[in-house]
Amino acid sequence: MPEFSITAGQGSTESTVIPNGRRRRLETRRSVKLTEALARWIITCGGLLVIVAVLGIMVFLIQVVVPLLGGGTQTGQVSYALEPGEDVIWVNADEHQTLATLLMADGRHKTFHVPTGTVVSGGAFDFGDAAVTAVSGTLSRDRVALGFDDGSVRFLTLGFAARVTAARNLPAGLVDISDRDRMLDGLVYTRVGTGDFRTLSAVSEPGAISSVSEAPIIAVDYRVGGTVERPTLSFATVDAAGKVRVSRSTVRVNMMTGEETVTTNTLELPSMELAPEVQVTGVLLSGGADRVIVSTDDGLVYRFDLRDATRPVLAERRRVTDEGVAVTSMTFLGGEQSLVVGAEDGTISVFFRLRREDAGTADGFSLVRSRSHPAMPAAVTDLSEAQRQKEFVATDAAGHVRVVNSTSDRVLFEMMRSDDPVEPSAAMIFPRSDGVLLVSRRGEVDAWQYRDPHPEVSLRVLFGRIWYEGYDQPDWIWQSTAGTDLAEPKYSLVPLVFGTIKAAFYAMLFATPIALMAAVYTSEFVHRSVRATVKPAMEMMESLPTVVLGFIAALVLAPLVEEWIAAVLLGFIAVPLGLMLGAFLWQSLPPALVLRLDGLPKFALMILVIGLTVLVSYRLGPLFERMLFYGDFKAWTTGAIGTGTPFLSIILLPLAYLAVAAGFRRVWGHHLRELLRSLPREQAGRLDALRWLVTLVVAVMASVAVASLATLAGYDPRGGIIDDYQQRNALVVGFVMAFAVIPNIYTLAEDALNSVPGHLRSGSLATGATPWQTAMWVVLPTAASGVFSAVMIGMGRAVGETMIVVMAAGNTPIMEWNIFSGLRTLSANIAIELPEAVKDGTNYRVLFLAALTLFFITFVINTFAELIRQRFRRRAFQL
Amino acid sequence: MSDAITSDVPASGPAGVAAVAARQAAGTGRGEERPSRRVRSLTADVSAVGEPALWAFGGALALGIVLIAGFLFLVAWNGVTTFWPKPIAQVELRDGTLLAGEPTRSSRYRPGENILEALTAEELAFIEANDGFSDRVLYKTANFDLYGDDFRWVSDFEVAEVLYPEAFHLFEREQWGTFVGRVDGLVIDNQPTAFDYRLMQREQREARQRFRQMRRLERGEIGAINYRIDQQRLAIRRAELRHGAESERGAAMIAAAQARIAELEAEFAIVQARVNEIRDLDRRFRVILAEVNGQTRETELSQIVRFYPANALGLMDSLGIYLSRWWEFLSTEPREANTQGGVLPAIFGTVAMTLLMVIFVAPFGVITALYLREYAQQGRLVSIVRISVNNLAGVPSIVYGVFGLGFFAYTLGGTIDQLFYAENLPNPTFGKGGILWASLTLALLTVPVVIVASEEALAAVPRSMREGSLACGASKWQTIRHVVLPKALPGIMTGIILAMARGAGEVAPLMLVGVVKLAPALPIDQFFPFVHLDRSFMHLGFHIFDVGFQSRNSEAGKPMVFVTTLLLLVLIVAMNAMAIYVRNRLKRRYATAQF
Repeated sequence: MPEFSITAGQGSTESTVIPNGRRRRLETRRSVKLTEALARWIITCGGLLVIVAVLGIMVFLIQVVVPLLGGGTQTGQVSYALEPGEDVIWVNADEHQTLATLLMADGRHKTFHVPTGTVVSGGAFDFGDAAVTAVSGTLSRDRVALGFDDGSVRFLTLGFAARVTAARNLPAGLVDISDRDRMLDGLVYTRVGTGDFRTLSAVSEPGAISSVSEAPIIAVDYRVGGTVERPTLSFATVDAAGKVRVSRSTVRVNMMTGEETVTTNTLELPSMELAPEVQVTGVLLSGGADRVIVSTDDGLVYRFDLRDATRPVLAERRRVTDEGVAVTSMTFLGGEQSLVVGAEDGTISVFFRLRREDAGTADGFSLVRSRSHPAMPAAVTDLSEAQRQKEFVATDAAGHVRVVNSTSDRVLFEMMRSDDPVEPSAAMIFPRSDGVLLVSRRGEVDAWQYRDPHPEVSLRVLFGRIWYEGYDQPDWIWQSTAGTDLAEPKYSLVPLVFGTIKAAFYAMLFATPIALMAAVYTSEFVHRSVRATVKPAMEMMESLPTVVLGFIAALVLAPLVEEWIAAVLLGFIAVPLGLMLGAFLWQSLPPALVLRLDGLPKFALMILVIGLTVLVSYRLGPLFERMLFYGDFKAWTTGAIGTGTPFLSIILLPLAYLAVAAGFRRVWGHHLRELLRSLPREQAGRLDALRWLVTLVVAVMASVAVASLATLAGYDPRGGIIDDYQQRNALVVGFVMAFAVIPNIYTLAEDALNSVPGHLRSGSLATGATPWQTAMWVVLPTAASGVFSAVMIGMGRAVGETMIVVMAAGNTPIMEWNIFSGLRTLSANIAIELPEAVKDGTNYRVLFLAALTLFFITFVINTFAELIRQRFRRRAFQL
Repeated sequence: MSDAITSDVPASGPAGVAAVAARQAAGTGRGEERPSRRVRSLTADVSAVGEPALWAFGGALALGIVLIAGFLFLVAWNGVTTFWPKPIAQVELRDGTLLAGEPTRSSRYRPGENILEALTAEELAFIEANDGFSDRVLYKTANFDLYGDDFRWVSDFEVAEVLYPEAFHLFEREQWGTFVGRVDGLVIDNQPTAFDYRLMQREQREARQRFRQMRRLERGEIGAINYRIDQQRLAIRRAELRHGAESERGAAMIAAAQARIAELEAEFAIVQARVNEIRDLDRRFRVILAEVNGQTRETELSQIVRFYPANALGLMDSLGIYLSRWWEFLSTEPREANTQGGVLPAIFGTVAMTLLMVIFVAPFGVITALYLREYAQQGRLVSIVRISVNNLAGVPSIVYGVFGLGFFAYTLGGTIDQLFYAENLPNPTFGKGGILWASLTLALLTVPVVIVASEEALAAVPRSMREGSLACGASKWQTIRHVVLPKALPGIMTGIILAMARGAGEVAPLMLVGVVKLAPALPIDQFFPFVHLDRSFMHLGFHIFDVGFQSRNSEAGKPMVFVTTLLLLVLIVAMNAMAIYVRNRLKRRYATAQF
């Protein structure tokens, strides 16, 4: 709009004389100018704030999401030598990275302060004359089993105790060992957030000795299972003679005396029949002591099945590396579902035990290579799993140390040992997965600290297929939380995006035709007074709370549709057929009557027809079910009974009708037209109705024929878009969501149609076109872009709709097009999971990514629609 | 979107049909004269009228209207009839079981194999005669404390006899929901007394008085004392944080607060003693209820919210119960996990949140509209602003919820907490969902509605009025302030009302930014500073979701959901109708306002 400049003032200093004699200054007051400037400034800023708001939302969402893929940072590294010449065989550290305990081969143990290397306490176990030949510990590393050359196994506890000391109870004479920690008498004090002190000390206790073999033990594994009250301690050993033994100890604590009774059962497993030159390189035992895995230096693993404890079987012998490549290290990931195998050539692979038809093993399971992680540059020398995540640390012969997250297949950190890499070493991930401690055999220590808040997420996890633990094949899965801490979180957004598209697709399938046809009818064929009542009613529907629709969908409609599914399906056929029948009957009426009843009575008749057809569907529903679905629709959908022919023929009917009608028009169309023109109007109408009936009958026959042929050819629609029936399904959601978006599309499309200039209509009608022809060939093409943008905006709304989906869609993140199954959309997922998500946790950020995805989808749709609409408006004004 | 150019040629059906008919009449005449195919006939045949397509189009509109009407009727019917007292049926089954309850709804189903196997020949014959189908009725047997379930389906083939004995009463209780059964006896002042309806009514009314008094003491006075004690505790913590516990000033403040706490605790003991006194008295008035099979339950009379002989009600009695239930619904707090009682806190929360939202949304929306209509030069920038407005309108509401939670609650609120409410940490004050953040989130969500409507209203103010004002020497802002805005006000109001309607019905974002199923305190109360913007609140829309989907028995909550739905719908439809009315008046006023 044109600018109006303020004409008063203009720096003039002249003044006029007002009749009463006072002189009035014509200069604009300062305050007015100031207000003017202020108003302009505020309003412009306010107006641009809208852009800021949209960008702000986007930037904020992105800013929350970005750390998800940002990777971790290494926050610190220390390395020092603790009295060189030690012979270190085991290391354990506490979860605050404060203390670590080393165990030496001669039985001495030493606890030191991790950040500085200050020795805090120490002691010694008595191993007698025996020499340690194998060592292993439980997942939490505080219980250790040692194998000796005399065939005995000895157990130790090397843990930590933490308690809180109030500031006022702090003893005197504390020695500062770092700016954080103070030490006294083997206790380390660390100030915590509340102002009190965390007090840590090492706990070391000798345990039982158990003699299992005559020959030296060459490999051992130790696990804790059972419950806290009645733990079962189990260990597996391999001796120099190649014998594998599993012992299970049940500890029973006497409630009165606190005395522990230990019962141990030792079981000798079937022989592996190893060739004499083959060496065993490791043994693994599951916590329940029902699986034993032994690896050898010729690249094989032997899997024993101990589920029947009295009859152990060698279930499987499997090559896990290339020919002639030794397995050098093995470990289970937390949860013991994945077996990580490191080889001499540096490869690291993960195996799942899966039930396979062609397993050919004694128990029907087979070890399947499910993941291959990037190979280490040199032979893998050590693998150690993290306690709380699906991570492990791998060390190789060239001194590389890598932390790998197995689920996301990401190398989180890569470090280099500072000492001589030839020296054997033991590495561990700190219990909170925030650092790695590596101690070489000679007592040289490397400690790295790092922070990676979201190791389990990568682009491939979010959008690609991942082979998760317990699944038969790689797949897209969303399962962010599970019953146990050790479960693998599954963050694939694909099922959610799929659910969103599915829901929007079915909604648009219902909504688009109804809304557009209704809009055309309102804009072109009814009187303005009808439009004046229908339009506001529709607009009011636009602001109906969707929670109400969702409630009706889930608690009223879903059970109703389930009960009357056959009638509902019949309704989809009967309503259009009924309307067509009405139209052809209407055509056959005498023109005088038609003219008199046109307008509202005709519309009332249409409503009546719809009511009647609904009634007919309701009455004939059971009959329909009997005839087409063998009397039981739900059983039919599962594929238990009947064939796909009847359903397929219904689906094909519209196509068949179009084909038959087109064929008819091509062959007889011209003659028929001539004939119709020559007849009086009502007779022509009757003839046309007859033509329609004949076409319909032929189309039905054709579609049944085609469907039968398809069935004969072995095609069945069940298993695709038709499958098992669930009460809360895409049909109900699509229908109710359509109900929510129809008013949207309707009002926008009607606006677009209505803004087509009237002279175009007048021109068209004046050249002899009927209103129908005018609407179809003049108005609709002119308004096409506006109508299209209405559909786009409707789609945007369907994509983001939340409450209806939360309530009525069943919320199962599955990926199938089946119209009778549930789904979970991005929006519903956010609504369900975000209230429970920990701030800045992985799930929180992934949910923000879901929101960002939604934002982008709708942003693209809306921007596109708005651009089209702006173009359309300019054109409409030009016309 | 509304710059619609209205057509001045009515494109209605009759004209078209008439034209075709006329032309056809002319055409047939000419066709007979010249039967040659080469000559172009000037008539249209029936297909040109497109009757089938017209019916399809009209049918779509009709379908839309039927669906809307059906939907509104469904909600209205279920909502309106819910509170009408229903009779209690005593059903005797063929196996001799007796049950009593309100018939709630019925349906038709096909008994499965596993059901049919267990039936007698007689029952099988009954089903056979019914074409393999069976009708079943859902009885609300209530008495959850005795049966562990509120409802029971009874199939027609099971039924031996249905009676409606007058002795059956329906009791609505404070706890355990409704009870269906007879009165076995009364205990008045610890004296067993025979049942008498009038007596019981009188005693129950008195008992309710006592109950309300106890509640007032517990909720009001004890609640206030507890609140003050909490405030003092926070004051102690604040003193420690700001001045240190050892410092002189800090120690003095702490001592003062502790003295105050001791005072309050003494007050608390007095009120508690009074409550106990009333409770002791209350326990002397009891009623013994017996269900249909004779199991009894003894309960205090004050626990009975309402009771009536369901099968012996006159029209006026029914009406009285109906109205009293509505009153209870609108004026009390919910009980029984929200499935009974009222929705007053939810109404309050919805209204408070919506009004708060208006405070934010109105200036923002109007300023943007002013910018677009009055200040901006048409060009790329305006185009971008319009795209932004449309994006704001099109972004899914849940995304706003995510933004509100992440930005308003966690980022802004977290900062506010650290600056001003450090004494309460790690418990968040503003750093969680609350009514302020909810209304800000919704303001963002509804601002496009206000912008679009205000723009329309500004556009409707005739240019001549502006020009007149400017010609008189008014500045641009003066023109807007004194001429344009007053004229556009009704239209702006329309936009604001529409925004309120939209905001009141939105639930998804609220689930993330502060709505709870049961708020312990209203956002406005008698304690300084009276308006507590950090508090979470209840909301009618969320109430529907919560009761319908997260209660122990969604069937038991269904009537409540329907009534709440009706209430919400009435609220929103009323707001919309008001907006449309205002808009129509505005249009009429300016239709002739050109001069």
